[in-house]
Amino acid sequence: MIEVRGLSKHYGSTTAVDDVTFTVKPGMVTGFLGPNGAGKSTTMRMIVGLDRPSAGSATVNGRPYAEHRAPLREVGVLLDAKAVHTGRSARNHLRALAATHGIAKARVDEVIALTGLESVARKRVGGFSLGMGQRLGIAAALLGDPATLILDEPVNGLDPEGVIWVRTLARHLASEGRTVFLSSHLMSEMAQTADHIIVLGRGKVVADAPVHQILEMAKGTAVRVRAPRSEALAELLRGDGVDVTADDGGRLRVTGITAPRIGELAASTGLVLHELTPLEGSLEDAYLALTQGEVEYHAGALPPSPDGSFPTAPSATMTAPTSATGGTR
Amino acid sequence: MTTTTTAPTGPATAERSGLSFGGVLRSEAIKLTTLRSTVWCFAIIVLVTVGLAFLLAATFFTPAPLPDDGVQAVWVQVGTLGITFSQLVVAVLGALVITGEYSTGMIRSTLTAVPRRIPALAAKAIVIGVATFVVGLVSVLAAAFLPAGILAGNGAEPDFADPAAYAAFAGGALYLALIAVLSLSIGTIVRNSAGGIAASLGLLLVVPGVLSLIAAITSTEWLQNLSQFLPSALGNVLYAYPQDTGPVPDGIVALEPWQAALWLFAWVAVAFATAAVLIKRRDA
Repeated sequence: MIEVRGLSKHYGSTTAVDDVTFTVKPGMVTGFLGPNGAGKSTTMRMIVGLDRPSAGSATVNGRPYAEHRAPLREVGVLLDAKAVHTGRSARNHLRALAATHGIAKARVDEVIALTGLESVARKRVGGFSLGMGQRLGIAAALLGDPATLILDEPVNGLDPEGVIWVRTLARHLASEGRTVFLSSHLMSEMAQTADHIIVLGRGKVVADAPVHQILEMAKGTAVRVRAPRSEALAELLRGDGVDVTADDGGRLRVTGITAPRIGELAASTGLVLHELTPLEGSLEDAYLALTQGEVEYHAGALPPSPDGSFPTAPSATMTAPTSATGGTR
Repeated sequence: MTTTTTAPTGPATAERSGLSFGGVLRSEAIKLTTLRSTVWCFAIIVLVTVGLAFLLAATFFTPAPLPDDGVQAVWVQVGTLGITFSQLVVAVLGALVITGEYSTGMIRSTLTAVPRRIPALAAKAIVIGVATFVVGLVSVLAAAFLPAGILAGNGAEPDFADPAAYAAFAGGALYLALIAVLSLSIGTIVRNSAGGIAASLGLLLVVPGVLSLIAAITSTEWLQNLSQFLPSALGNVLYAYPQDTGPVPDGIVALEPWQAALWLFAWVAVAFATAAVLIKRRDA
């Protein structure tokens, strides 16, 4: 259980985190979403006492992090895959951390096995790829077998296999009743991992709701339809809040009506459908809608297209900045 | 790399041990000994100190037999000659113990594990201080005893049962240990490897020269006295063989070894306290 109350952080005249209040509950995965520079990392650092809040408080399991008798056993943290001395081996890094809490060597080997680092455990961390560094960071977070896990951008730099592994791990940890709090700037990632989502934009909480509610916030859930006689179908569907746009390939993007209803209408008039797909990317739309105007660093002059989405594919817009996940200083 | 797609977590360890200062000490000892730079630095200290001792012993020449305390002074000189060099290595090592963590980001792991922070800094100071003392003592004693036969052959046969000589050897090791902790504190204050090393070496090498130069030009007594309280000058008092060199000129300070030790401790205490306040207060 993480409780954040009125937390703020100012750097001179810049406000990184602005009066943020939320609760992260045990037994589920809570996603912490926001564009780069929204204040996610700063908030997480304040929770574990690395940064001093300008105002407000953060407690973990009822107490400020620093006041726990065994902090690593209460909270496991991955703030930054590079929080490791590059001249030390992965195993020695974990041994040094474990020693502070009298955690047995056996547990060190356990987390090394758990994160699939056996083959590189005795190599110096300086030569690690971002993905291996990420695994080492997760190993360090799991070291104390903590009831609460705070993971900042855990899938950053991982290969697809690794991404699935983190997702499975997060879900598993939550199913054991632990509090799992992980940040990402990738909406699609959160959609598959989180039960609850807190969206941060420009240091403020923009949304704090279960995933399905965040999904419902998507303006106009869209359905993709392919039909041989697409113009006739478009004619049939159009009107009364229903919007139909056709793309180059003759596919229709329909908003304002559910997929079953489209199917029923097509059947009743004998029109053949080749595809009828409710679009999953709508979570991305919800995210964009929520954080619009809250993004600190825009990618440049990309004028929004008439339907409110970016002219490029939404997923590309969201996944492009993976290599540049900043926020860390 | 293998990937564990199932995600078992480790069984909850039976005994839930907590954060303890002993644990933090062990952690810092592991950190110090698992970096190659430490091993190299300590090896270089021993090699150079012993090497210089052999050089001095082999080239030592006296036209007339020395008085007893003169022989002892030469012997102590042979053992402690390398300290001039060792202090620089130790200053670099002391600074790197903390600035290496700042430059790599390791400090965030350290301070997450020890969120009260000052125990982590104190443990670093104890570990680097004790390790440096031990290595310093080994290097000085090796440098004193290994070439003793050569020295005796050149007309200076040391008295191995002289407590004053051992006090000087121990003083040398203590000096090195305190320089390491002083440098660690400076490194904590500046949080930057280049800055920390430059500041520490500057204090040891540059400041004494500048002060004595100005003192010589202006022939001001107080500046001359002030330079007696610089760490390197205090160290010289600590590891020199105490000889009766006649009366001290009026108005010039001459410190006893125990006084020099106290002043060195004062330097370290002030620097460490500043470092402790800053590490506690600043964002990591």
